[in-house]
Amino acid sequence: MEPVIQGILLGGLYATTALGLSLVFGVIRMVNLAHGDVLMVGAYLTSLLVVALGADPLLLAIPAAVIVGAVAYPLQRFVLNPLVVHSAEAPITATFGISVVIQSLLLLAFTSNPRTINAPYSSASVEIAGVHLRASLLIALAAAVVLVVVLDALLNRTRFGRQVKASAIDPDAAGLVGINLGHTYAVVFAIAAAVATIGGTLIALSFSVDPVGGTTWLLRAFTVVVIGGLGSIRGTLAGGLIVGVVESVGAVLVGAQYRDVVVFGILVVVLLARPNGLFTRAVRA
Amino acid sequence: MTSQLPRMLRYGIPMVVTAALIGGADAMTRGAANQLTGLLLLACLAMAWNLVSGFAGQFSLGHSIFVGVGGYATAVLLDYLELPLILVVLAAGVVSALVGVILAYPMLRLRGPYFAIGTLGIALAVRGWMLNWDVTRASRGYPIPPESLLDIATLLRVAALLALITLVTALAIKESSLGLRLIALRDNEDGAASVGVRRVRSVVPTWAISAMLTGMLGAVIALQNGNLTPNSAFSIQYTLDAVVVCVIGGLGTLSGPLLGAVIVFVLRQYTADFAGWASLLEAVVVILVVRFFPDGAVGVIVRVRGLIRSRLRSRDAGAPREKAGRA
Repeated sequence: MEPVIQGILLGGLYATTALGLSLVFGVIRMVNLAHGDVLMVGAYLTSLLVVALGADPLLLAIPAAVIVGAVAYPLQRFVLNPLVVHSAEAPITATFGISVVIQSLLLLAFTSNPRTINAPYSSASVEIAGVHLRASLLIALAAAVVLVVVLDALLNRTRFGRQVKASAIDPDAAGLVGINLGHTYAVVFAIAAAVATIGGTLIALSFSVDPVGGTTWLLRAFTVVVIGGLGSIRGTLAGGLIVGVVESVGAVLVGAQYRDVVVFGILVVVLLARPNGLFTRAVRA
Repeated sequence: MTSQLPRMLRYGIPMVVTAALIGGADAMTRGAANQLTGLLLLACLAMAWNLVSGFAGQFSLGHSIFVGVGGYATAVLLDYLELPLILVVLAAGVVSALVGVILAYPMLRLRGPYFAIGTLGIALAVRGWMLNWDVTRASRGYPIPPESLLDIATLLRVAALLALITLVTALAIKESSLGLRLIALRDNEDGAASVGVRRVRSVVPTWAISAMLTGMLGAVIALQNGNLTPNSAFSIQYTLDAVVVCVIGGLGTLSGPLLGAVIVFVLRQYTADFAGWASLLEAVVVILVVRFFPDGAVGVIVRVRGLIRSRLRSRDAGAPREKAGRA
């Protein structure tokens, strides 16, 4: 029973790290191969701010998210947007290139040593009925719920949300009624990157990050998104919990050293079980 | 580019170049032979990847598997059997092709970005498995018997021969009905299906051929390096190199991977002293190429040639300049 509980805890973190990918995927229909690296950028940026300002990492994740979002907006608007209409391969190649750029920059700036963010609560744990629950993972689970509620409200209760959904369901028609697609896509990408920054910070509070660690997180996030349903924000939370539980139980069954194999194994099985019908659904709440 | 050369030259020029390399290998300095080998192996990797990802449009991020499988197959074969080297390399290719076919059927259920992510997932899963598997002896490494290691001149000959085989295979596929079917599938799958072109039936053989060529390349790399570890043999860097070279040269063209290999190789000569900056620069170039020159260096050449031609023509005719058509 304990692996299941630990898995649910992990699931919150996994959902947080996958929300951005799901959003971009659902609205722009673009797979961002650099998503994992954006998570890493978020972790490193927050840790820099913590060193410089000495405040709480959860508080500093917010300015970090704003900074990353501000960089992400022009990237989507001027580099990626023109490629999305061009072909299916162009955005894959371009985001793959961005992934390598980010990894190289992080390696140059921070070397390949793993890095963690320390806070009073990062190593604390709460004991409930004999099970130790890590405080940092509990925070991640809470953050996942908060982010899901906020994004859900943004998409369903605001004018901007209606524009986003219109752009996702029918880009041509959305353009005809005066929605600025380029701007909408770029804002969505910026929001996704900002959420990923918070996700990266949460990763570094519980585990460690390194410059090339993003690839594993990308594949894990992708699994979460595929299970949860493309572009479904609430589904992402469910997907995160499922992946967390399967991974924890799987690691107990086959041995912890095969944890990565379990992660990628789930991805491949899930992709094979649902190879079609993933890209037809538009954004739902 | 090559498609405008007569058939004899298309096959003849690469053969003559290969023969010259094989004949001249002994006369070269160690450094020159080393560099040429590196360039040829890079071109092989890119050409093999281009078959699947360029011609057939299935963007594979899993080709590092085949380099690793070929390498380990070579090491294991040399360990247990006394075979001539050429057979070992060939056998490594066959093993890699078998692995490729096994992977192809599940993977080809995926399309577009899903195919890319699925193959990347498999590549990382295989590497993770190899890191924990007794057969590979994990990080302690699996050595190639020292008597089987190749000296640099032989290595250059083998690399030249492999490059020729890979190029001729690509030429043959492009000119066959298989090549036409692949391009039809890439450009319009529904349209291709309506005239009876099946995706799996066309892509699986291409994928197997690509896996075989990449596996043979892995064998040569193993014979060059002498020791295999899961992290080096199954490194994602191989896939990365293939993507970079093909995108810069021109994805889905015959001469693109060759041109790209030369460009990337030259670029690397200049950035060799700045560790870490090289891959950054390459990735930036890739993004710029995708954004501004989607057809790569080959596309640029075709466009420039078209411009010059139309200028000449309009001057001859005294007519107003016409717009250069894009090839």
